[in-house]
Amino acid sequence: MKNASERRAAAWALVVAAAAASVLLAGRTRKPFSPDAPAFRVKGPADAKVVIVEFSDFECPACKYAEPVLRKLLELHEGKVRFVFKNYPLERVHRWARPAAIAAECAGRQGRFWELHDKLYDEQEKWARETDAFKTWEGYAKDLKLDLPAWKTCLQDPAADAAVSRDAQDGLDAWVSSTPTFFINGRRFVGAQQLGERGAPFVERELKR
Amino acid sequence: MSLTDRHKSLLGAAGRVIVGAILVYAGAAKAAGPTEEFALIISYYQLLPRDMVMTVASFLPWLEVLVGWALLLGVSRRAAATAAGALFGGFLVALLSVLARGIELPNCGCFGDSVHFTIPQALLFDSVMLALSWAALLHGGAFSLDKWVDGGYTPRGR
Repeated sequence: MKNASERRAAAWALVVAAAAASVLLAGRTRKPFSPDAPAFRVKGPADAKVVIVEFSDFECPACKYAEPVLRKLLELHEGKVRFVFKNYPLERVHRWARPAAIAAECAGRQGRFWELHDKLYDEQEKWARETDAFKTWEGYAKDLKLDLPAWKTCLQDPAADAAVSRDAQDGLDAWVSSTPTFFINGRRFVGAQQLGERGAPFVERELKR
Repeated sequence: MSLTDRHKSLLGAAGRVIVGAILVYAGAAKAAGPTEEFALIISYYQLLPRDMVMTVASFLPWLEVLVGWALLLGVSRRAAATAAGALFGGFLVALLSVLARGIELPNCGCFGDSVHFTIPQALLFDSVMLALSWAALLHGGAFSLDKWVDGGYTPRGR
C-alpha cells in the first residue's frame, strides 16, 4: 500500500472485521424454544393472532410488579390474545422459586393453577420470607379447596419437577436471563416497564395486522 | 526508583492489550445477547430518558468491541485509548450516581449476564481500567499497527 491513508483504512477494516467476528463467536446458538405448556397454564383461544409467552419466577419481586400490567393487558384484549405461562425459577437467588412452581403445577393438575398463581404473587412478600413456605401454601391450598392429600403427593412427584425443568430449559434455549421475560409473537420484552411501554402498543399493532 | 522508558513502554503496551481484551469480551458478551436484557440493566441506573435506553443498549456494546479491537491491534491508538478512558470514566460516574441515590442494582451490567460484579467491585474494576487506559494513551505505542500505518513496511537491508 502506497500511502498512510490506505494503510489506515486497511487497519480499520481489520478492526471492524475482528469486531464482527468476535460478536459472532460470542453468540450462543439460540435454539427455538417450545411455547407449549400444559393446558392448565394456557389462557385464551388457540387461534389468537397474538400469543404472549411469559417466563416467570413466583419468588421474583419484578414478576410480582409486572403482574398488574400483564393482567390489565390480558383483560383489555380478552378473547383475542393467548397467554402461556412458563416457569423460570431463579434458584441461585430464590430458594422457594422451584417448590412454588411445583406447588402451582400440582394445583394445575386439579384445575386450580391460576387461582394459586395469583395467590402466590399477591402474597409473595409473606411466604418468601418464611423458613417453611409449605405451611403457608398448604393454607392457600385449603382455601382453594384442593384435594390436599393428592396435592401433597404431587409435590413429591418427579414428573411435576420435570415439567418445571422443561420450562427452565426452554428459557435457557431462548436466552432468558431475567424474569419476567415476555415473548409476544416471538418478540422479546423484559420486565414490567418494557411490557407496559413497548409490549402493550406492540400487541395493539399485531392485532390490527 | 523511576521507570525507564522501556518499562513505561511495556506497561503502556500491556495496559493497551488488557483494556482492549476486556472491552472486546464485555462488548461481545452484550452485543451477542438480547438487547432487551441489556436495556433492562441500563434502565436500573435511571440516568437516561426511557426512549433512549434501547438505542444505547444497541450501540454501546458494539462501541466497546470496536474500541477494544482498535486498542488490541494498536489502530488509532491515542483516539482508542481516549475513548476507552471516556467509557470507563462514564461507567464510574454512573456507578457513583447509583451509589449516591441509594439505588440497588441486581447486576452492574458490565459483562451482560456472564459475570456479575457488586457495585464496589465494579468501582474498583473501572478505576483500574481507567488507569490502564491512561497508561495506554501515554506509552502504549509499542507493537501497534499505528507504526505500520505511519511508516509502512520496510524490508530489512533496504
